[in-house]
Amino acid sequence: MLRQLASKRLITQRIQILPRFYHEKVIDHFNNPRNVGSFDKNDPAVGTGLVGAPACGDVMKLQIKVDDTTGEIVDARFKTFGCGSAIASSSVATEWVKGKQMEEVMTIKNTEIAKHLSLPPVKLHCSMLAEDAIKAAVKDYKTKRAKSNVDSEAEPAVKAAQA
Amino acid sequence: MSKALLMPLTPSTKSQNKTKKMLKAKKKLWSPLSERLLQTRTLSSTICGFLQNQQQYLSNSQPHSLFPFSPYNNNKKSQTSSSSGFSSHFLNFSGKSFCSAQSSEKINLRCWNCNAESQNAPFLVCESCTTIQPVDHSVDYFQLFDLENKYEIEEDHNLQVKYQNWQKKLHPDLVHSKPEKEREFAAEQSARVIDAYRTLNNPLSRAIYILKLEGVNVNEEETVSEPELLAEIMEIREAVEEATDYQALKEIQSLMQEKLQDWSISFASALRGHKFEEAKNCIRRMTYYDRVNEEIVKRL
Repeated sequence: MLRQLASKRLITQRIQILPRFYHEKVIDHFNNPRNVGSFDKNDPAVGTGLVGAPACGDVMKLQIKVDDTTGEIVDARFKTFGCGSAIASSSVATEWVKGKQMEEVMTIKNTEIAKHLSLPPVKLHCSMLAEDAIKAAVKDYKTKRAKSNVDSEAEPAVKAAQA
Repeated sequence: MSKALLMPLTPSTKSQNKTKKMLKAKKKLWSPLSERLLQTRTLSSTICGFLQNQQQYLSNSQPHSLFPFSPYNNNKKSQTSSSSGFSSHFLNFSGKSFCSAQSSEKINLRCWNCNAESQNAPFLVCESCTTIQPVDHSVDYFQLFDLENKYEIEEDHNLQVKYQNWQKKLHPDLVHSKPEKEREFAAEQSARVIDAYRTLNNPLSRAIYILKLEGVNVNEEETVSEPELLAEIMEIREAVEEATDYQALKEIQSLMQEKLQDWSISFASALRGHKFEEAKNCIRRMTYYDRVNEEIVKRL
């Protein structure tokens, strides 16, 4: 009888502790994620970063919309299928990249995201995922742009050759 | 005769332990008692060659047993070591595992309660007094269920039945009135058996486990960018999210199970060929598909 009571108390204690497992910032981003959604990935102004965590099977898509002339990230979207920490990390990432230069966002470290969200060590790889997603998005935009530049440079050349 | 038949279990197992000690000391005993051996040879009704006689001679010299040729003793012997006696006993444990040091260790396992020697390969419960033994981490999950160390597990192995049989012997409820020491062993052993069953029952966790036994760890932290796979997974996850009815979810689920099966077949062949990088790649894919499946189960 006593033991039952004791175990009951233990369980209720655990339930009380459970919500505190995630930091309130994580819960905030999880409940009200910022910038959820998608851009058209074929839009030349959009860079798409698609990364995954093989260990847990999470996938994260982070997209940036870049002002072609200034190189500034004007908007960002994300879509993440994963745990609360992964969602919160990508949500924070989209907030942080907005209004910044591409070079600037390349310096965002996963440790900063983890610190901001007070992620426990076991969840560090979620913030790693977000860092990788930012880098992948910038890289995608740059390769797209380089390609279109080559194309546009190639066009006049063709014209010149024709002339 | 009757005295030997009435002998309780414990002394007879003790006498068996002595048999083993005697075996070790057989060289010393050999020459002075060889004449007696000849006697037993003529008396014995079941002569299976020289080695069997050797064992009978040894049991003959035990102080406990006054009637060494009683049917009881003979039965006991054929249980522990097969008919060819001493030599097959040796073959038995050298064949079980390739490391000889390990096998000699196993032979020395004794019950902490009654001191009886273990007779079955994974020694979780004492055969004599049914006392639960401490966890032996050198016994891997495959050994626990008497399975070959290979990825494919055939249906007829009845993993679930084997698991239930262990729980019938190890479940903590069985020892609630026993000393705390045994209750702890029961909790640990039965938890380990649960973990073993779950690990081996799921194709993905079994793949990860068998690679671990090979010394290959699937890196948890690495983020691999495989655009095609990720795009595919993203698409599937979106489809799951947007699926509105049971039927649609079921369809995606059966597709996932198909893919899981395909990749587990690829994993098995990669493992056979010791292509560990390829095996890891299969595990990665399986993890993604398994995750989708989990998500579907949640929504169903």
